[in-house]
Amino acid sequence: MKRIRISGCASQLLARNTPRRPSCPYLHRAVAPHNHRIQTRLQTTAATPIDEEIDIEIEAGTEDSTPGPVKAPRNFKEKPLPPSPHPQAAQHSVKLAALRSRLSLHSRFPLQTLARTLVHPSADPNPAFNNASLSVLGGNLLSYYTTEWILCNYPRLPMSVVFAAQYAYIGPVALATIASEWGIEAAAVPGSEVDPGLLQFQRLKSGEKLPSLLRQEVPWKWRNTTTHKIVATDEFGSDQAPVSPHALVNTAVPMEEAAQSFVRALIGSLHLHLGSLLVKRFFRDHFLSRQLDLSSLFDFQTPTRDLSRLCAREGFEAPVARLVSETGRKSRHPVFIVGVYSGKDQLGQAAGSSLDEARIRAAAAALKAWYLYRPIEVTLPSSTENQVDTSRWKPNMVDCGEVIV
Amino acid sequence: MSTCKPLARIHLATRPTSHLQPLIQARHESTTRRHRKLLALPEAPSFTPSSRKPTLIFNPPSAAPSVYHTPLKFLPKDDRRKQLYAAFQTQSTQTSYRKSAPSIAQPGTPLYAPTSAPSPSYPQPAAHLPPRPSAALPAAVRAPYEKKYHLDQNDIKEIQRLRKEDPDHWTRWRLAEKFACSNFFIGLVAKDREKAGRVEREHEAARGRWGTRRREAREDRGRRKALWGRDA
Repeated sequence: MKRIRISGCASQLLARNTPRRPSCPYLHRAVAPHNHRIQTRLQTTAATPIDEEIDIEIEAGTEDSTPGPVKAPRNFKEKPLPPSPHPQAAQHSVKLAALRSRLSLHSRFPLQTLARTLVHPSADPNPAFNNASLSVLGGNLLSYYTTEWILCNYPRLPMSVVFAAQYAYIGPVALATIASEWGIEAAAVPGSEVDPGLLQFQRLKSGEKLPSLLRQEVPWKWRNTTTHKIVATDEFGSDQAPVSPHALVNTAVPMEEAAQSFVRALIGSLHLHLGSLLVKRFFRDHFLSRQLDLSSLFDFQTPTRDLSRLCAREGFEAPVARLVSETGRKSRHPVFIVGVYSGKDQLGQAAGSSLDEARIRAAAAALKAWYLYRPIEVTLPSSTENQVDTSRWKPNMVDCGEVIV
Repeated sequence: MSTCKPLARIHLATRPTSHLQPLIQARHESTTRRHRKLLALPEAPSFTPSSRKPTLIFNPPSAAPSVYHTPLKFLPKDDRRKQLYAAFQTQSTQTSYRKSAPSIAQPGTPLYAPTSAPSPSYPQPAAHLPPRPSAALPAAVRAPYEKKYHLDQNDIKEIQRLRKEDPDHWTRWRLAEKFACSNFFIGLVAKDREKAGRVEREHEAARGRWGTRRREAREDRGRRKALWGRDA
């Protein structure tokens, strides 16, 4: 049996022990570019209890920095407090450690980086300390993994459904929901004294309008056709112009925006620290595991026409609606069960309270059955990354496209 | 044969209302044992495996087929499911011919119908079951028709002339009947915008006279109809 470490249980109540050597090999890397910042912080933090850590950091970084400003007398008025918590504070944040273990992240993943992913550019304009660059990387990775999963597993999906599925899996709302399910809480106001385990961003006051950056629409030309949407706009084919996270500096944003930037930045930092293999596993566990009923994303305007076009295109016999069963034809609530047949094969079946309703629903069901085809064996392109052996690769099915009436 | 008594006894074994009638001795199900014996019904045949060995029981409730199960016709040529489906179809056809009635339609079940013998005049068996694979397909909802493409340029000119001459008499339906084509086709070749606008204004005026109830009912019907293509 494993013994419980009593000292670890109530460590927040005990006197803080002396800072140990950093266990993380990345810590030095994380510290190195921060030198200018550490010096400025040194002059400001007179009474804060992190003095010891700062001294140690300076020892670590003295080789490549001029020691001049470090020796300068501390002055409270000249240097304002940093806008976000010091990276060193992450080591002592209970929330961050809890978040890391809750997400089952490897202990190799440094808490300082986890703390940085929680700082939205609206809280800290310094790109070396906010999550803007990480969220750009993570957003690209997320859309890459989702797109390839959807396109390889459902090769026949119409483009509008692909867009909707992308939005459902990694859209802003989904990412904000995921962040709240992970237990991310927001700080009321960002600042250096705030616990680094809280999401830091400049809050949009209630009743205020969205900042103009988040309200921009793409040019009409981009929305003109599906091809334009694929090429020009973001992965959701949305009408909103994509906003660079770097542009949101000092802008009050809603919580959803900050939460989604955190999730993206976490993916990006996982990719940098733990490698793509673990990110793919993380993506599978936290994003693809979410239930999405793809069949509810369809909206057919003329299902019967679409189906007959499809059958003509694929060389099947023309679809015929046949009455499989019925009850209460002369009553107030009749039920008709209609199947759509092509030759002797049934393509779809549905129930309706009128013959027309059942017929149209059956045609829609048949179209969904066509579009929701899923191949048995799928090899994702990303699964062959960094692999010399390419014999496992099997080309995926590529469909000729949706039915256009 | 079985020792259990009919369920109807529960209802029959009541005291006569009039005390002038002789008292009939009735045995009530007053003990646990009698109740247990009474309610010990034979299991449905579909739940009773034919062999003593443990088997799978497949007795799903009736439901519309899932759209995630791609029909045989929609599978690409190189999909392995194609062979599996074909093998299953052969097997089920053979089984259905070998057995007189499937196990879920044995006597004593609601699906059982005594006159299940197919006759030449009535091809479908009377049992409340989906038809056998070899049986004729169900009747079509609307009479199937073939497109004829029989109208030539002169006919189209004639249609346009008639329509222009008297659009009130030669409506789309009358012309479609005369030329044996669809009224959609008449609308394609001889569209009368002036009359269409007039009729639309008349309808608009008629809709304007509707009360709240009728208008809301029509609007709801339109909303329901929009859902047909969405949540099938």
